[in-house]
Amino acid sequence: MDQKQISKEILLRMVKSFTENEVAPYDMEIDQTRSYVNELLDKIKKYDFLSTMLPEEYGGAGFDGETTAAMINEIARGNASLGVTLEGHFKSIDQIVKYGNQALKDEYLPQAKSRIIAFSMTEPSGGSNPLGITSHAEKKGDEWVINGDKIMITNGGLAEIYCVMVKTAPKELSFFVVDKDMEGFEYGKQENFLGLTGVPVGEIVMNNIEVDDNHLLGKVGMGKEIGDSAHNDARVLMGAVLTGIMEHELNIVTDYATHRKAMDTPIIQMQGIQRKVADIAVAKETTKLLYQKAAWLKDHHQDYEEEAAMAKAYGSRSAVKSGDDALQILGGYGYSLDYPVEHLIRDARAMEIAEGTVEKMRTAIALIEAKNRA
Amino acid sequence: MKIVVCIKQVPETTNVKINEKTKNIDRRGLGGVINSYDLHALETALEIKRNVGGEVITMTMGPDDFAVSLRETLALGADSSILLSDRAFAGADTLATGYVLGKAIKKIGDVDLVLLGQQSVDADTGQVGPIMAELLQIPQVTYANEVIAENNSLLIKRNLDNVAQEITAQLPLLLTVTDTINQPQYTNVVEITKSFAKPITTWHASELQLDDSRVGQAGSPTIVRSISSPEKAAKVGHKLTNDPREAAAELVAILKKQNILTEED
Repeated sequence: MDQKQISKEILLRMVKSFTENEVAPYDMEIDQTRSYVNELLDKIKKYDFLSTMLPEEYGGAGFDGETTAAMINEIARGNASLGVTLEGHFKSIDQIVKYGNQALKDEYLPQAKSRIIAFSMTEPSGGSNPLGITSHAEKKGDEWVINGDKIMITNGGLAEIYCVMVKTAPKELSFFVVDKDMEGFEYGKQENFLGLTGVPVGEIVMNNIEVDDNHLLGKVGMGKEIGDSAHNDARVLMGAVLTGIMEHELNIVTDYATHRKAMDTPIIQMQGIQRKVADIAVAKETTKLLYQKAAWLKDHHQDYEEEAAMAKAYGSRSAVKSGDDALQILGGYGYSLDYPVEHLIRDARAMEIAEGTVEKMRTAIALIEAKNRA
Repeated sequence: MKIVVCIKQVPETTNVKINEKTKNIDRRGLGGVINSYDLHALETALEIKRNVGGEVITMTMGPDDFAVSLRETLALGADSSILLSDRAFAGADTLATGYVLGKAIKKIGDVDLVLLGQQSVDADTGQVGPIMAELLQIPQVTYANEVIAENNSLLIKRNLDNVAQEITAQLPLLLTVTDTINQPQYTNVVEITKSFAKPITTWHASELQLDDSRVGQAGSPTIVRSISSPEKAAKVGHKLTNDPREAAAELVAILKKQNILTEED
């Protein structure tokens, strides 16, 4: 085995043990209390999970996309919210690595070891339609003055550093990096979402925040490209989260169907149950292969937009459907708030919307297919 | 203090299968992990190092891919590792394993403390540590559940079935530890990458001045005649299905009969 394989094996051994002991036992409590209990975030920082894919020159472990996704898959098997919190941080690091100038990288990437970075595009007037946003940055002398309101930010309120998309001209989108400690930065409303309740999702308000050119991510006008890039990176990791959710669902249904008897026969012996269990297993494995392929393409500097969209679109629909099948197998227990199946459906449902809706994914996939054949 | 921690890589799963021909554990297709008791031994070594300084060396005997587990110990904080790997070591029982490990300890030289977990979770013998101590002619304390390091000695506490002991032991010493002695840390993600700057040295049989008759299968008097997975325990429970009041009275009677409850209760 080479260094990459050995590192990956050691990382996944650790994450498996961490998930089994520190994450999975608290899954229900995280969902019900809508917060990370068991000092999970302190432990995540202590063991440097936040630095998994941060390049070594900035103090990180420098793991590739495939290994990082496998790690998130494992964490999400215990709790999907924690997987999404890490996904939001990693996609933000990815964009600073890819587009940041050297001064920006030197300032913020070493901080990513202990401070969560968030990526923020959505506003009340624009989500999938980025030109609908109203936040803007205006150049005054050497400084940019940023004003606006960003909502529904994954890790909003928890993150301390934000990559924000603003208009620098009526039809020109650009990204800046702002810090919660900057003058003019305020936290706003926290969302009260149906699923992934451990992940804080919130608003930030920017009132005349002044930053220099070094805080510009990429160049002026590169907002759409950077936004698309962040979406692609996020979708790969969401495929990993969704695989984790389906593994969780599969664990629950196989355990239940093996022990639950009807007419003195474990219900796993009954064809109606078998079909549902098999469908969940196939969907789980398919999503896993899709996100692994997307991550592999990314690591090898090839196009991965389509595979990333497939992993998220197929994975989210499948995880919701699998959760519904799991609920049906468990019957009344599945419908109970005292058992985890219902919250897995709520968790998966979020990912049919976040980071581009399933409909948007299908459009992207169809257009890429058409383009490839043109 | 120079400390050597001997670790064993064991199959990941608790669903261990036995190879019918070799009567040994069938490791094919099984991922490996560090024997959990050995992680407590490593944590003990790292705590001693933090308190009184020193050097922690980890060592294992096995095929080349066991280096993954050694690399993991380096990520956890060990300073260097030694892999004892040679086809001649194959088929070793606890005696032949203890012999090779003991010879390696001698080759390292000036070792103050040899640490092991109380046993491995796959074979469960707990014999390798004591065998090594006998071969090295150094004192041994087994089943330690607390260790306080002083300059040239260790204060050790051990809880046995009917007795609690406190022992002050001079160095050099061999110590095996229980899983209640400490809480091992998880591997730090960044330290995994950094661990590749630390050395893993491989020693083959020819480098250890071994008596061939005491190595591998030749040096293993243990003969496994048969081995089997335990039968699933039959249900021995007694179900009380009568009226709750009567059932409660019956339950109390049963508990008293088994001396779990006394007449005073």
